[in-house]
Amino acid sequence: MKPAPFDYHAPESVAESVALLDEHGDDAKPLAGGQSLVPMLAMRLTRFEHIVDLNRVDELFGVAVGNGGVRIGAMTRQAVVETDAAVAERVPLLHLASPHIGHFQIRNRGTIGGSVAHADPASEYPAVMLALDGVAEIASASGTREASAAEFFESTFMTAVAPNELLVALRFPSWERPAGFAFDEIARRSGDFALAGAAVGIGTDGQGRINRAAVGMLGVGPTPRRAASVEAALMGLAAADADAAEIGRLAADDMDPVGDVHASAEYRRRAGSTLVGRVLADALAQLRKEAGDG
Amino acid sequence: MADQKSLSMTVNGRTRRGRGEPRLTLADFLREQALCTGVHVGCEHGVCGSCTVLMDGEAVRSCLLFAVQADGADITTVEGLAPDPETLHPVQEAFRDCHGLQCGFCTPGFILSVAAFLEANPDPTDDEIRHGIAGNLCRCTGYQGIVAATRQAAAAMRAGE
Amino acid sequence: MAGTAAAGRYVGQSVKRLEDPRLVTGHGRYVDDIALPGMLHAAFGRSDLARAAITQLDTTAAEALEGVRAVFTGADLNPHNDSLRASLYPPTSPAPPANMLADGDVRFVGDPYVMVVAESRYIAEDALDLVEAEFEPLDPVVDYETAADSEHHVHPELGGNLAHDVAVPNPTQQEAFENAAHIITETWHQHRQTNVPMETRGIVASWQPHAGVMEVWASSQSPHEMQLVGARVLGIGEHKMVVHFGDVGGGFGQKMFLGREDMAVLVAAKLLASPLKWIEDRRENLMASNHARIEQMAVSMAVDGDGCFLAADLDQLEDDGAYPLGGPATPGAMAAMLFPGPYRMGPVSWRARTVYTNTCGRGAYRGPWQMESVAREQMIDRVAREVGMDPLELRRRNVLRPGDLPYEAPTGLSFETTISPEQTLEQAAEMIGYDEFRAEQAEAREQGRYLGLGMALYIEPTSMGMGPLGTESAMLRVEVDGSVNVFMGTGSHGQSLETTMAQLVADELGVRPEDVTLHQGHGSGYGFGTGGSRSAVIAGGAARAAASGVRDKVVAIAAHLMEASADDLEVADGVISVRGTPAASMTMAQVAATAYQNSDALPAGMDAGLEHTARYKAPPSTHSNACHMCVCELDPGTGKVSLLRYVVSEDCGVLINPMVVDGQIAGGVAQGIGGVLYEHCVYDESGNPLASTFLDYLVPTAAEVPELETGHVVVPSDTPGGHKGTGEGGAIGAPPAVFNAVADALAPFGAYPNRQPLDPDTVLGLIASASD
Ligand SMILES: Cc1cc2nc3c(=O)[nH]c(=O)nc-3n(C[C@H](O)[C@H](O)[C@H](O)COP(=O)(O)OP(=O)(O)OC[C@H]3O[C@@H](n4cnc5c(N)ncnc54)[C@H](O)[C@@H]3O)c2cc1C
Ligand code: FES
Ligand code: FES
Repeated sequence: MKPAPFDYHAPESVAESVALLDEHGDDAKPLAGGQSLVPMLAMRLTRFEHIVDLNRVDELFGVAVGNGGVRIGAMTRQAVVETDAAVAERVPLLHLASPHIGHFQIRNRGTIGGSVAHADPASEYPAVMLALDGVAEIASASGTREASAAEFFESTFMTAVAPNELLVALRFPSWERPAGFAFDEIARRSGDFALAGAAVGIGTDGQGRINRAAVGMLGVGPTPRRAASVEAALMGLAAADADAAEIGRLAADDMDPVGDVHASAEYRRRAGSTLVGRVLADALAQLRKEAGDG
Repeated sequence: MADQKSLSMTVNGRTRRGRGEPRLTLADFLREQALCTGVHVGCEHGVCGSCTVLMDGEAVRSCLLFAVQADGADITTVEGLAPDPETLHPVQEAFRDCHGLQCGFCTPGFILSVAAFLEANPDPTDDEIRHGIAGNLCRCTGYQGIVAATRQAAAAMRAGE
Repeated sequence: MAGTAAAGRYVGQSVKRLEDPRLVTGHGRYVDDIALPGMLHAAFGRSDLARAAITQLDTTAAEALEGVRAVFTGADLNPHNDSLRASLYPPTSPAPPANMLADGDVRFVGDPYVMVVAESRYIAEDALDLVEAEFEPLDPVVDYETAADSEHHVHPELGGNLAHDVAVPNPTQQEAFENAAHIITETWHQHRQTNVPMETRGIVASWQPHAGVMEVWASSQSPHEMQLVGARVLGIGEHKMVVHFGDVGGGFGQKMFLGREDMAVLVAAKLLASPLKWIEDRRENLMASNHARIEQMAVSMAVDGDGCFLAADLDQLEDDGAYPLGGPATPGAMAAMLFPGPYRMGPVSWRARTVYTNTCGRGAYRGPWQMESVAREQMIDRVAREVGMDPLELRRRNVLRPGDLPYEAPTGLSFETTISPEQTLEQAAEMIGYDEFRAEQAEAREQGRYLGLGMALYIEPTSMGMGPLGTESAMLRVEVDGSVNVFMGTGSHGQSLETTMAQLVADELGVRPEDVTLHQGHGSGYGFGTGGSRSAVIAGGAARAAASGVRDKVVAIAAHLMEASADDLEVADGVISVRGTPAASMTMAQVAATAYQNSDALPAGMDAGLEHTARYKAPPSTHSNACHMCVCELDPGTGKVSLLRYVVSEDCGVLINPMVVDGQIAGGVAQGIGGVLYEHCVYDESGNPLASTFLDYLVPTAAEVPELETGHVVVPSDTPGGHKGTGEGGAIGAPPAVFNAVADALAPFGAYPNRQPLDPDTVLGLIASASD
């Protein structure tokens, strides 16, 4: 199980990186943490003549606070996202989702940009990005552009990032408080990709009415999904009255699951909607706690 | 064939130089050129953890890194963990005391993962231990001895600090 | 918990392992750590189709690649070897053709059809990409339930897919059925799993052309199988087959026999006269090494009104795959014979069949015939449910009691008086707090929580003393300085034999364990290797006998030199002293120096030297027994099962090293848990393996295996030292115990599983279909 040969490039800037991608087009591939790409290279499921290693591009690393949210460089390690205080404070869902990604050794190398660019439908960060309406900053030799989460995830493993483009950063909005956030997933073993998972954020107005609801789901479609029916059912409800299990069941309508060796589509729909209800209940509990504290 | 690159990194405190194609994995470089055969290769796709090494102090899968990527890095393998030829690292000692190994194939990776885990979590609960070490597979022990060893090493490392 | 009988100074103690200092520091030497000057590397091209004709095979481009030394096809290699068979199997019984590499057609996904030898594994794999092969797909035989009737034949040479069909009807069984109060019938299914040693298979072979010597380093459980079969394949004498034995990263049955690839490497290394290495990669290991447990047993049991077992009828069917590793075995017959287990069962009729399919070959996996315990213990829980009795009570009613022993089982096995199934059943029940649990379970159910308890009780035939399995040898030599080298035919690959054999020798000879080094492989005497829970009794018997032979001589020499009576001497920790007068003593080193370097000082007529070789012949079988009980919780929303407690009470006789025994049990239990809840070598209908990576084949992690509580009942066996085998038991008891726990948790839904794996999808499906 050894990768096929390739030429190795280790650019030190975004400009250099996108120039390389531009030059080599489909024959080139960015290498981030390598936790998804390298196994595929090793098994020769895919091969590229040029590997563009982003690990020496300093400007792609780091968390910055500003503009009502947080901007995270594409090469920021999952382990950093997991432990960064600003992320935990301002985008709790990223903090809550991170420990579910593989194992700490994976997160020491794996990057948030890689997770999002890889776009595994069972992956945690894409669902969080979708739930929170995150924005991707994308660069190419001809300039930079932005893509909303909704337009970013096109299909399984396919994103709005073209082969000659580079994902530079992700921006996540911070929510007004009080708000409740929760994340959970069903996985076969500790650290496995999710069979189904949910990322939930709930915000309320001064009277305790839900005025903001974000429900992202993973593992229940060819791309991450939003549970629009659940969000709609929540809006305007008094948070105290929301029947999480009942509302969670609506999520089944927002799924388009695909079966694999680990679980059938039917399972993902059934267990997934139960899980959405549970995570919703957690988020509501979190909200109560925060509202009580505040 | 792609060009050979010259490589240089610190392995267990010594500078190791070598050459290899860009596709040469760090695991293969460490085994074949740095002669650290304690780096075991159990899957080559990032799941089993046998190949775990510390790169600049952090536990990583050496099968998912190319040696070129580690050029200039500071690598610790299991061979570099014990302070001297007479003494074992507390994690190594604990694995022996608690029967944390049988065939020993997963052991180097486990020991480095546990050492890194305890560095970040000096006083873990059993549940934290079980999830914390879930990134390494062992087929022999049923993990009983490994969990016990992690407990013992945590206490020893706390006491030693 | 343990009532350990400390049988000696070191035997019975949890002596720290002598293996560990090198293994925890990275200084073990596994096969992939061997690097020889000029060594080449092999890689195999494998079929992507389950069954196909090879219509074109062109290796020119591959051969032309820089760094490639040779490319072999079946036509090149196969004529050099006339049988894939292990030494166990008589050359007369029908078997798949001796194709180390597929020739003309491929017979499962993963079937090797070409072998590249190159300067590095990287280049070898590059060359595989350049092999031009074309295939014409044929209809594969994938489903083993229908394989026997298929018009398509996995091995056309054999004229059909049925490998074995053995039936032993019993007329009194029919009678018992006619008069029974209850007849309960179910077909129990296990599913395709694989051994997954963390070190894959591998071999380094180096041929010395003029000497005609083959030197081999192998990841093997049985260095003598490698020596014997390797020599046969190469057409050389065993004296020219030098098999080095280093560290082996697990096997669980997979490394007992030579694989087709091992043979191909031996032949290629000889043809090329260059050292050659092959290290299997994980995908090859998961799809082409061996699979196991692909079987089902249809069981009917007759029970009287009081729940007493009256008779049973069994029909077992097993999948051998295409090329069973080691040869076409019939564990089904063994499973049927063992079915009565630790119970009074009444007459049993049985039939066992094995079929070929276009899938990865079957091989031995820890407790190869454990279907007997799986089917029986799951059946007993089902019987309990049907007759409305508590499963522990039902077992109590039927279990063999001390008064029943010795016992002749209706299928022909006989159990000695030294088994203790009833004691382990009761100890396990006490450890888990059986009655308290039932109360807790009822309470939990009120709160909408679903707990389940499963148990399994079994007798394991260990250390079988038949045929090639029957004996082991030990050649023991005290060196001039008093330290001890012992050479044995075992193949320790995690079982801690370097420590346990040293403990036995230490006690028997009177030295310290750290004074003893075990050598395996080249230079040792024939032995079947390590597997089949045989080393403690058989190898242990040999080690004891060799040590005691030397001890007699040590005492005789010391008595002569010290002018004392041999009867008054004791030997411990390398010192020979006069009992009661510790000052009068000499060391093992002094005795040894005399034996080798001053033989004139020996008693008249005594041979010089201090060494002894012994071969131990085991009784036909030494039975150990155990009871597993575990508690699970089932999440009815997600179908996920978690294990909350796991208890094992076992009797492996006198424990040589309790720490090692507990470790063996724990490893087997984790494999059993993995088998029932996580692991599955899934094939699709076209015969494609869908679990060929570690992201799909789910070996349990520390987070899935609960803390294990072990209890020991110690009834010494009649073998020297009173030991019984213990290597496989964990993997025998765990599957039915875990299965029964899940079935118990599912019972309130009216769901009755009869097949594994019990993954979340299956569990949720069972709940859903029961409530429909
Ligand atoms: C054992 C194991 C368990 C895992 N479990 C999980 C899990 O539970 N959940 C989960 O989400 N992931 C899991 N992963 C995958 C892991 O999170 C990866 O890190 C992640 O999917 C990809 O990130 P990376 O930085 O490693 O990217 P790489 O593997 O380097 O790249 C992945 C893909 O993204 C592209 N890419 C990366 N960065 C950019 C960029 N800046 N611009 C454009 N394209 C880019 C690459 O070209 C490549 O196609 C697991 C991996 C392993 C080995
Ligand atoms: S060999 Fe690197 S994780 Fe398995
Ligand atoms: S000790 Fe053998 S795999 Fe862990």
